[in-house]
Amino acid sequence: MPAQIVRAHPVGYSDPGSLIEDLAVGVLVLGRLGDVVFANTLASAILAPIDAAGLTLDALGKELVRIGRWSTEAAAALCRITAAGSDRPCVVEENEGRALALTARARNDGGWVVTLDDVTHHRAANRIDQRDGLTGLASRGELDERLKAFLAAVQREGGQAALVCLDLDRFKAVNDTLGHPVGDALLKMVAQRLRSAVREGDVVARLGGDEFAILQIGGEQPQAADALARRLVDLIGRTYVAQGHMLNIGTSVGIALVPEDGLSADTLLRNADLALYRAKADGRGTFRFFKPEMDERMQARRGLEIDLRKALALKEFELVYQPQTRIEGDTVVGFEALLRWRHPDRGLVSPADFIPLAEEIGLITPIGEWVLRTACREAALWPDSITIAVNLSAVQFRGSRLLDTVTSALAGSGLAAARLELEITEGALLEDTDAVLAVLNGLRELGVRVSMDDFGTGYSSLSYLQKFPFDKIKIDQSFVRSMASDRDSAAIIRAVTSLGSSFGMTTIAEGVETPEQLARIRAEGCTEAQGYLISRPLTPEAARAFIAARVA
Amino acid sequence: MTETLHRLVYYSRNCLTAAPEAMDREVAQILATSQVNNDRVGVTGALMFNKGCFAQVLEGPQGAVETTFERIQQDARHGEVTLLSFGPAEARGFPVWSMAYVGGSDADEARYGSIAGESGFDFSRLSGERIFEVLHAMVLDEEQAAA
Ligand SMILES: Cc1cc2nc3c(=O)[nH]c(=O)nc-3n(C[C@H](O)[C@H](O)[C@H](O)COP(=O)(O)O)c2cc1C
Repeated sequence: MPAQIVRAHPVGYSDPGSLIEDLAVGVLVLGRLGDVVFANTLASAILAPIDAAGLTLDALGKELVRIGRWSTEAAAALCRITAAGSDRPCVVEENEGRALALTARARNDGGWVVTLDDVTHHRAANRIDQRDGLTGLASRGELDERLKAFLAAVQREGGQAALVCLDLDRFKAVNDTLGHPVGDALLKMVAQRLRSAVREGDVVARLGGDEFAILQIGGEQPQAADALARRLVDLIGRTYVAQGHMLNIGTSVGIALVPEDGLSADTLLRNADLALYRAKADGRGTFRFFKPEMDERMQARRGLEIDLRKALALKEFELVYQPQTRIEGDTVVGFEALLRWRHPDRGLVSPADFIPLAEEIGLITPIGEWVLRTACREAALWPDSITIAVNLSAVQFRGSRLLDTVTSALAGSGLAAARLELEITEGALLEDTDAVLAVLNGLRELGVRVSMDDFGTGYSSLSYLQKFPFDKIKIDQSFVRSMASDRDSAAIIRAVTSLGSSFGMTTIAEGVETPEQLARIRAEGCTEAQGYLISRPLTPEAARAFIAARVA
Repeated sequence: MTETLHRLVYYSRNCLTAAPEAMDREVAQILATSQVNNDRVGVTGALMFNKGCFAQVLEGPQGAVETTFERIQQDARHGEVTLLSFGPAEARGFPVWSMAYVGGSDADEARYGSIAGESGFDFSRLSGERIFEVLHAMVLDEEQAAA
């Protein structure tokens, strides 16, 4: 620090004045009366044409204002530095844009040493850092700084604002399919649209990737934020034409209000993010204001996540097995393995509650492997005629480890490949046809059977039925349940069974609960059935007993 | 490269206040700005509008059409902008910039009745191609009337 150098001038240095001349900062030495008794060359150059000699800081500031070099605020700041006497430089900006860092340090004799350092370049360099390189918007760092400064002012003087966080829906698809240059061009256009939507004084920042934030200052809240969010959803969602392409993306927006949703930058960013998460969960292309419940839901989710991460190690998962019978002759042909999570405090957690979370946080792969190994080991204890069906999640299906896992589960258990049946949902097949077909064919080569689960619930995968010979189609229980009252359901079941028989596939109906339903699906040509009418899911021991009683 | 001739067609919802004078003023302003801006970058085309909608054709070098459209996209005087077509074109359909008000007079109704919905003009029912044709025909009509 310049001030330290000055203070440390060595006793006995032949001419302290010449040392001060060598410094790369301007130095003013004030006497006891506050008048400038010495100015080094650099200080004189900085202050020229004004001669500082003999002037107090107050008078010097006034002169600088008078000649139009400084603003009155800058002059006031100069006067304050001796009062503040702080080590932290105070930066004043001259009207022409030059930035000077000022420090003041008391001398033993009651005078002062004041330094003037030209930090214009330094500031400019800093400022580039504060900008996002691609879009020219404020960077995350600058937003943080501006937010903190604003919040400090709100603490003192009150005021309102909104922190608006947004990210782009479907941006990744554009980037992946058309490449980074188009993606970057799109981000620049988005930045421009954001700028056009805000008022002067608001801060627009790119937080990274396709995430942006706006600090909306002033305006009557929450109306101003509401209007801005509406405008953003409309404006960002409008078609872009860039480099010959028509691009369609959308945005989801989350809003946290100052002061009610937080008075620290971290809290506000977090709360706006929670609101954004909510907006996305509610179907994207929309906006949400932060509500305290969102935090509670998030906490609950986080709690579930922590427990779920421990569940495998703590052996809290169990498999139960639901029998499947051939309708003709009522013989047991196999079981479907169903996953249960029994948590000491939560009790039995429904798969509907934890599977999506497991998929999202990547836990589905190890859980799925455990299921596969456990089910194969159990099935190896059953008679050879009985198969075991295991569900695969779309995430597992997409992963690269599936074939290895299946191979090792079979080898580890000694189960014949033909007795393992993997159930794949329609959703898993939606993705990339070629990659999907490669995995399906790989499974087929291993000798395992592949069935299509929940057929008819999602997107029709009829095209897959032609491209890949599934062994079995599983008709979703919703059709079975409604077939008595709903003609369409009955028609769908009929269509699927006849489709199955023409492709040589077995058809199995899930959720068969009454003799009437069984009679109906049988009449529609369905070959197998599963449901409470036959048996509820059974523990491993009960399944073995069931087999012993039914398979002679 | 980006200088190949491109044509873009969109329609949008008119957000201007319904008061006729105010609307005339705004539209005159859009026309004036457009003439200056478009001329500078070699963009021509046609704009038609009524109380409910705008429909516009922009023609010119690809980059210029893209920048012009991006500016128009941000305009709060219209909403729900729907891009109907965008791609290379062989020749300009509108060698000069034009603008037409449609559906205001009985004569218009009669003339363009074939594309008018029950409540007057509903551009949203038209394809990009059709809007282009209709605008093209109108401009030709006008030129003939003037001759
Ligand atoms: C329906 C509609 C069509 C427009 N068409 C054009 C146009 O073809 N060219 C143009 O420069 N501006 C057009 N504008 C105006 C732009 O949105 C924008 O206000 C204008 O380009 C700003 O120009 P300036 O920066 O020169 O003021 C149109 C606006 C509307 C609402």
